[in-house]
Amino acid sequence: MATLTRQDLNFGQVVADILCEFLEVAIHLILYVREIYPSGIFQKRKKYNVPVQMSCHPELNQYIQDTLHCVKPLIQKNEAEKVVMVIMDKEHHPVERFVFEISQPPLLSISSETLLSHVEQLLRAMILKISVCDAVLDNNPPGCTFTLLVHTREAATRNMEKVQVIKDFPWIVADEQEVHMEEAKLIPLKTMTSDILKMQLYVEERTQKN
Amino acid sequence: FHPLPWRQRVAGGYMAAKISKLEEQFQKDAPREKQKDGTSSCIFSGVAIYVNGYTDPSADELRRLMMLHGGQFHLYYTRSKTTHIIATNLPNRKIQDLKGEKVVRPEWITDSIKAGRQLSYVQYQLYTKQKGLNYSSVCARGKQDPSSIHEPSKPSLNHLQSDSIKPQPSHTQTLSTEVLKSTHANHKANFTERSNHQGSQDTLLTNGYVHPVNAALKPQDSFAELQLHVVDTGSHQSHLPQTESRDREEPSCSSSGSKANSHQRSLISTASPAKQPGLHSIVRLNGSYHMTPNSSTLADSSNPPGRSAAGAEAGIISEFFSRSRLHHISTWRNEFSEYVNALQSRSRAAGGAVFSGQEKLKKLRANCSSGVLSLWFMFVYLCSLMAAPQVRQSCILHVDMDCFFVSVGVRHRPDLKGKPVAVTSNRGPGRVAQRPGANPQLEFQYYQRKQQQYRKEKTDGDLEMTPSPQCDEVPSNGVDLDLAALSMAEIASCSYEARQAGVRNGMFFGRAKQLCPDLQSVPYDFQAYKEVALSMYETLASYTHNIEALSCDEALVDATNLLVELGVTSDDLARAIREDIKEKTGCTASVGMGSNILLARMATRKAKPNGQYFLRSEEVDDFIRGQPVSSLPGVGRSMSSKLTSLGVSTCGDLQQLSISRLQREFGPRTGQTLFRFCRGLDDRPVRSEKERKSVSAEMNYNIRFTQVEEAESFLTNLSMEVQKRMEGAGLRGRRITLKVMVRKPGAPVEPAKYGGHGICDNFARSVLLAQPTDSGQLIAAEAIKLFYAMKLDVKDMRGVGLQVQQLEGSYADPSGQGPSRGRSIKDLLLAKQPAHSPRKDPPAQGRSSVIRTEFFKSITPPSSPPSTSSDPMPGTSKGGLHHPHTPNHVRTYLNVSIEVPSPSQVDQSVLEALPVEIRKQVEQSWRHREEQPSTSSHLSTPPRTSSSPPPGPSLGTLVLQLQNQPGQPCTTGIILELPDVSQVDPEVFAALPRELQDELCSAYRNKGNAQAQGITVGKLKRRYKKRNASPAKKGPSPLKKLFPGNSPAKSSPSKTLPLPLKHPGLKTENVQCPSSPSTDVPETLSKFNPRPVPTLAGAYEFSDIRTLLHEWVTSISEPMEEDILQVVKYCTELVEDKDLEKLYLVIKYMKRLMQQSSESVWSMAFDFILDNVQVVVQQTYGSTLKIT
Repeated sequence: MATLTRQDLNFGQVVADILCEFLEVAIHLILYVREIYPSGIFQKRKKYNVPVQMSCHPELNQYIQDTLHCVKPLIQKNEAEKVVMVIMDKEHHPVERFVFEISQPPLLSISSETLLSHVEQLLRAMILKISVCDAVLDNNPPGCTFTLLVHTREAATRNMEKVQVIKDFPWIVADEQEVHMEEAKLIPLKTMTSDILKMQLYVEERTQKN
Repeated sequence: FHPLPWRQRVAGGYMAAKISKLEEQFQKDAPREKQKDGTSSCIFSGVAIYVNGYTDPSADELRRLMMLHGGQFHLYYTRSKTTHIIATNLPNRKIQDLKGEKVVRPEWITDSIKAGRQLSYVQYQLYTKQKGLNYSSVCARGKQDPSSIHEPSKPSLNHLQSDSIKPQPSHTQTLSTEVLKSTHANHKANFTERSNHQGSQDTLLTNGYVHPVNAALKPQDSFAELQLHVVDTGSHQSHLPQTESRDREEPSCSSSGSKANSHQRSLISTASPAKQPGLHSIVRLNGSYHMTPNSSTLADSSNPPGRSAAGAEAGIISEFFSRSRLHHISTWRNEFSEYVNALQSRSRAAGGAVFSGQEKLKKLRANCSSGVLSLWFMFVYLCSLMAAPQVRQSCILHVDMDCFFVSVGVRHRPDLKGKPVAVTSNRGPGRVAQRPGANPQLEFQYYQRKQQQYRKEKTDGDLEMTPSPQCDEVPSNGVDLDLAALSMAEIASCSYEARQAGVRNGMFFGRAKQLCPDLQSVPYDFQAYKEVALSMYETLASYTHNIEALSCDEALVDATNLLVELGVTSDDLARAIREDIKEKTGCTASVGMGSNILLARMATRKAKPNGQYFLRSEEVDDFIRGQPVSSLPGVGRSMSSKLTSLGVSTCGDLQQLSISRLQREFGPRTGQTLFRFCRGLDDRPVRSEKERKSVSAEMNYNIRFTQVEEAESFLTNLSMEVQKRMEGAGLRGRRITLKVMVRKPGAPVEPAKYGGHGICDNFARSVLLAQPTDSGQLIAAEAIKLFYAMKLDVKDMRGVGLQVQQLEGSYADPSGQGPSRGRSIKDLLLAKQPAHSPRKDPPAQGRSSVIRTEFFKSITPPSSPPSTSSDPMPGTSKGGLHHPHTPNHVRTYLNVSIEVPSPSQVDQSVLEALPVEIRKQVEQSWRHREEQPSTSSHLSTPPRTSSSPPPGPSLGTLVLQLQNQPGQPCTTGIILELPDVSQVDPEVFAALPRELQDELCSAYRNKGNAQAQGITVGKLKRRYKKRNASPAKKGPSPLKKLFPGNSPAKSSPSKTLPLPLKHPGLKTENVQCPSSPSTDVPETLSKFNPRPVPTLAGAYEFSDIRTLLHEWVTSISEPMEEDILQVVKYCTELVEDKDLEKLYLVIKYMKRLMQQSSESVWSMAFDFILDNVQVVVQQTYGSTLKIT
């Protein structure tokens, strides 16, 4: 049995790659499922062997890509605790928050058979769960927007200030308003546990959306 | 699930009615059938069968036949009435659940009818394996472990008793030994001789076979009527007809059946209660033989490691020990490590050790200096002071006996000194030093020839074999050294004279003889090896305790401080040590010295034979450059060949390679180590105590399975062995690795070495458990799963190994005393042995199987319904705690022996949560403790004394007695009740730490308005520390209560571990089912395992949880507080574990279940759970769950 440790293979990077790829798919899918953008801008694609929807609006895609690009180094260093996609109404009050809570086990030891295919299965399950999440969520009011937040661990923000991954795409501290939601209800969607990554996705939903 | 007991339990009145109705119907139909079919008889009178599964002839046909021939047919199984189970095949699950039922193939009935009489069912038993299973499991368990697998044998014992064949344990015991002695004096002699581990293999085959018969006869021995037959019977075959004839004489089938039964199984049933070690090992031998041909070595593998057979049992058991040379010796290392540890801890206890050798050396020096001018002395002293920094640079001594086995072997054979001598295993049972005569030589040649043939085969076949020079000489080296002991004659060790002639260790004796015709052989003498090794260690220990035991003849000594202290040079010290060893053991030792372990070991090479060498730091570079790489530790054959391919043969060559290159080739760690080693750098410290990384048991000799079941039971046995080893080391592990050797495709089916593994592919698979375990059953279950996952052909399996890694201590070590750990466990074990052997009376023994694995845990064995007596588990109680209670006792006592932690270690909330009586007893024990401070000397265990309930109070445990009226479930309230203020012992109160006092005070203040309904639960939730699970059942009541045994609280308050929640429906199954080891929930040390996977009663898969919950809700009308709290706690853990999804599912499932339930209590319970969970979720996530 081959047991790899964090040093053997740049683990952080592998995890970050896998995760960011997944997040991109997930975000697109959420945008579609929650009808933030008109369904016309989405195209059907296949990822993890299941159909997903992906926007083909270049600026939107750019925004998502850039954001994730900046998130990646954080994940690499295991500094990102949560990646949150906040859906806000016209008044910029959040109505829904899709929280990807990430934790990487401190000690990685992977046996060869539990590698990527297994992770892929788990991610697929999560994607499928997202695509049906509208069943458990109330409809959103019209005219919603979204934003992406990252909850970092400890002093990761300071480093982020120093090293800007993409020029002119800095991080800003999120508004309390965006982070906090009154009378939220929590709906767990999916939890995955693998050797390299533990992640759970839940939605916080405002009780009164309209 | 075993459907039978379950059905029975749930059935209640309805089923009883139904069954009796069916019986009536049967009786009514019977005459009619008889009329219809002329051929009726009553050969089956007294027989009642139950048909399990598909049979041929079908169940209906069997029913008809039974009607015709006077038997009974039960549609439902009733243990008391059904005498035989008819089946052609049973799932493994059911086999495991068998408890002595007679499972017979349907042919028994048809053949009996054909024969016109009731045949002995023995030959028709479906499971000869049933027997084998039992045997082998007995053999796999330790001598003092009442194992679960004894359990199956127990009912049969009872059965016997009911049939008035009463095996009196003591009686049979003596009888059997007599029988053994008389009939097999010869064989026994073999056993007691230690050195014949070779030859006995053959004798085993014949004698071993006879054993079971004799042993099986025991009960009948005491049964006067049969005595005559018995004494005369020499073999199984001849005995059988006799039993049959008896059967014929006696129409009552059930009794004859059980007699025959006794024939089969009494072996265990009598032997296990008897608990005579010697007997046991016989059982072991028999069992192992019976199971499969390979099992004679299984017995070997099942020997407890590191436990030197003591006293009477030594003879036979150690024979098995000696059958595996490597195993035998490898256990010594641990022993010596422990020895060193013991010395250290003893010296710590004594506040400083007396080093006799050191004293001597000092004296020597003093003498020396007094002979000269005192000025000279001063000078030397100053010199040594000045030299100190240099010496202090650290000096490691590597002490290695010169060709250990040989020099021990020729110790008392001065005639052999200076001659080429080799230690080999001699054929012939235990003859002393026999010169290799004609006969053995013939054999060697035969093997030699066969070997060549084999090699030819190999080259002929399409196998890729890398021709390596060693391969020619040592065809089976390395892994199967183990086997070497059993193989014809490989040379274990040879003298330097022999080495000059080209003889090498591991060579076949025959070949060696060719090379060196006057080679003398010396047999193994394990006792002597041990003696010599021990005295070597004693000698070393007389200088310092900084010793690392490497093997039986090798040790590292860190002499840095010693040299400074004594002011002598390392050469002087080495000389003194060598002289000492020579004097005490009569064997020579070589000592290598260097500034680190690596150099010391390399210096030893140069020092040998019988010399010493100090590798000075300035010489290191030159020295090491010339050394071959293979002399570096960790560079084995494969690595050196890899290095050779890189053009590296010496360390000097190796130094040329860059670290990055090395790391690329060999991986980061090995690369770095190599890089450092070839420069003579080594920073490994001399560790007197080595942390074990893994515990394993492996066998690659004589593995020839024909059926999957055999492999399974073998794995089970191996697991038990691992369990024993882990228990011996006081460890538990999380990762279980199954290693399998499989015949390489194309390799000959039967390898050259008899029973050897031949050319194999190695496979390994591992699984990570949620919690560390040392339960053999759990390990077995996982191993079997892994085994199936590997999808192997059992016939090609040649070796099986089980390894457990990711170890941690198996019990809370409250004093945090690391070093003495291994030792203290052993001490305890040893101390306990005499104590609990008297309690081994049949009723108390046998059911605590699952439980006994928990050494320091308080557990009440789940007493089975028929008898409610509960015995305190062997591990915890030292005194003779034993309460025999009659089954009809109205009140059942639950004796929970718990280690009482010191008051400061107890979480007050836990204390509060305890029922009044328990709390009082805990407090009482504290009081006792205060009164008896003198008990604190026990190694690393916290001082504690017992409260004194009526039965003999035992030191170190607290016996909790809970009295419960059966049928009256303890409902809410009990948990949060505080004793009346007047009942609080002021003394105890004063003994509590400040904060606890405050907490208690406030609790009392609040008591007035605090209602039972879990007000403190919010607080409890996070602080409910439970390590000790004590599931207990109460007589007829279906409800089970859980006792949160309080535990020595660990420092981290959020650390929680689930308490098994048990439900009646799963009672019998679950306890034994390895997948949900309710009683086995390992106590986890928070520091080792920061986040265990949350489990509910040991279950952690959602489906299991669901079953559990379903059982809970459907089988109990009113939920109990404790159970509810368990669920809450589990949910809380899920939140903490960030597994909201599962939590959500659990909650939703419970909602569905509980709100559907007709009892409103359940929906209240759900609300309560939900409320609590919501609070936790709110705290963690700032929002609450949306429950629709």
